[in-house]
Amino acid sequence: MTLAEPATIATPARRPSPQPSPRRRRPRPLGAAATVAAIGVFAFGPVYWLLVTALTPNDDAFAFPPRLWPDTVTFEHFTNLADNPALARYLGNSLIVSLLTALLTVIVSAYTAYSFAKFRYRGRRSLMYLVLASQMFPQALLLITLYLVFSAYGLLNTYLALVLSFTTFTLPLCVWMLKGFFDTIPDELIEAAKVDGAGQGAIIHRILLPVSLPGLIATGLFAFIRGWNDFIFALTLAGPEKQTLPPGLVNTYLGEFQAAWPDLMAASLVVSLPVVIGFIVLQRYLVAGLTSGAVKG
Amino acid sequence: MTTPTARPPGAGRGLSDRSFGFLLTLPALVLFGAIVLYPLVGSLSTSLFRQSLVLPGRSFAGLDNFRTVLADEFWPVLQHTLVFTIACTLIPFVIGFALALALHTRLPGRGVLRGLFLFPWVIPGVVVSFVWMWIFNANYGVLNGLLVRVGLVDEPISWLGQPGMAMAAVIVAKSWASFPWMMVMLLAGLQTVPQALHEAAALDGAGPVRRFWHVTLPHLRGIIGVVLLLETIWNFQHFDTIYVLTGGGPAGATTTFAVSVYDTAFKGFDLGRAGALGALWMVLLSILVVIYVWASERGEKS
Repeated sequence: MTLAEPATIATPARRPSPQPSPRRRRPRPLGAAATVAAIGVFAFGPVYWLLVTALTPNDDAFAFPPRLWPDTVTFEHFTNLADNPALARYLGNSLIVSLLTALLTVIVSAYTAYSFAKFRYRGRRSLMYLVLASQMFPQALLLITLYLVFSAYGLLNTYLALVLSFTTFTLPLCVWMLKGFFDTIPDELIEAAKVDGAGQGAIIHRILLPVSLPGLIATGLFAFIRGWNDFIFALTLAGPEKQTLPPGLVNTYLGEFQAAWPDLMAASLVVSLPVVIGFIVLQRYLVAGLTSGAVKG
Repeated sequence: MTTPTARPPGAGRGLSDRSFGFLLTLPALVLFGAIVLYPLVGSLSTSLFRQSLVLPGRSFAGLDNFRTVLADEFWPVLQHTLVFTIACTLIPFVIGFALALALHTRLPGRGVLRGLFLFPWVIPGVVVSFVWMWIFNANYGVLNGLLVRVGLVDEPISWLGQPGMAMAAVIVAKSWASFPWMMVMLLAGLQTVPQALHEAAALDGAGPVRRFWHVTLPHLRGIIGVVLLLETIWNFQHFDTIYVLTGGGPAGATTTFAVSVYDTAFKGFDLGRAGALGALWMVLLSILVVIYVWASERGEKS
């Protein structure tokens, strides 16, 4: 239902709740609280352990059975990260590649999304569903040919290869999400501009895009997060100089000797931080993003 | 659905609105063709050749690769993929639905809780694997620590070292990462159920359980279908959690299509075989995708 027409969900999820009627459903907070508590243990137990391990000195972290509450707290694992030049490089690569991917995708997708939202022509619907379905093409399969092509043109281990490969999943996401935003822009706004003599280019660049700026930023942020979280493409198409954080952390910590668990937990917190901040910023657009992004996992 | 844009007479600037509309899609379509459609067709076509990732040249192999794959890894890989997909769709669905219902009450702090519960879902997939790998660690893991402490087991268990346990561990990790998405989607759905319906049913003497079956569930049918279908499609091609947590092992017990195609191509360098397995994978996946697009199309028309 909702999926098919992101327009309906592009609006903030929270609607003003109707006046509570006197005969409203009885809250059963006890059952609800028990459910939340039970699922909370499953959901937050691992998060707690992630935090505790990242703050535990190595000697305590490798005790068995483990201490559930740290006797001493240390920040040495975070300073260890800062002392590792390879991690700083992965971090920089992640920022550059995710940012370029978001910019490229939002710019290219905006025109297509406008076309899908406001024009009617033969084949439009087929194109829309082709883009939608493409989110379902397995990455491991696309990767084979992408690797061969990038290899043939000497593009392996470049930012360009990573940006282009990330675009395979951000492009469908952005097209569908932006179409949802553009659907909500009234046709009258565009018609009025036309009557005033504005050309198509002016309509897009002076009216549509400025009016949709929040949507463009939200979409770009979703694309950034998806790029930031990528693992398989960066693992395969880039070596240690151009790799992003996710495969970089795997290569650094899950090599032959899996020893530095507290360091790895600290690094996990660092790599998760931008995404968590991004989602806090995006709260308003969460459902729109989830569904279009839905439209691409 | 918006109405078609009316074209004022004389607005043609050499281009009609329609062809301009199509032109707008060209940059994205060209990019899309180059990085998505061409690679898809290219990768599928390797299934008909003997081809190596690292050596130039290839020779036509007919259907040999398919014969090899069907006689060898296809069936166990299909089985692992199905087990993983079904478990990692149903378990998060049940957890997410229960949580959505609990957060749809007047529970204090439910807004904040909704946000906090998203954490496992927003963090990068590799972090999900790191966290659970550490929890399941045979020597120092907290899971063994707790079990030993309460006396449920005498010896630490090698969770990721035994085939059955490893699959269960992967399913737990992936379910942990997936249930928040289900929760948000179902919560959004619950908010669209008209309160008046509940009140009318309550007046007719329907208790909470009957109202859930006869009011809430029928209303959520569409959204439940969407989340189950999408989650199934994603799990069917999931890679990150499995690959980092177990690498497909032990003894191939957690090798799904994604892991198998990846390893065959990038560790075995056998593109023909990877292509054949990928083509079979793609056929199964397309069935799900066709259902999904058909359902979306139907949803948009209604």
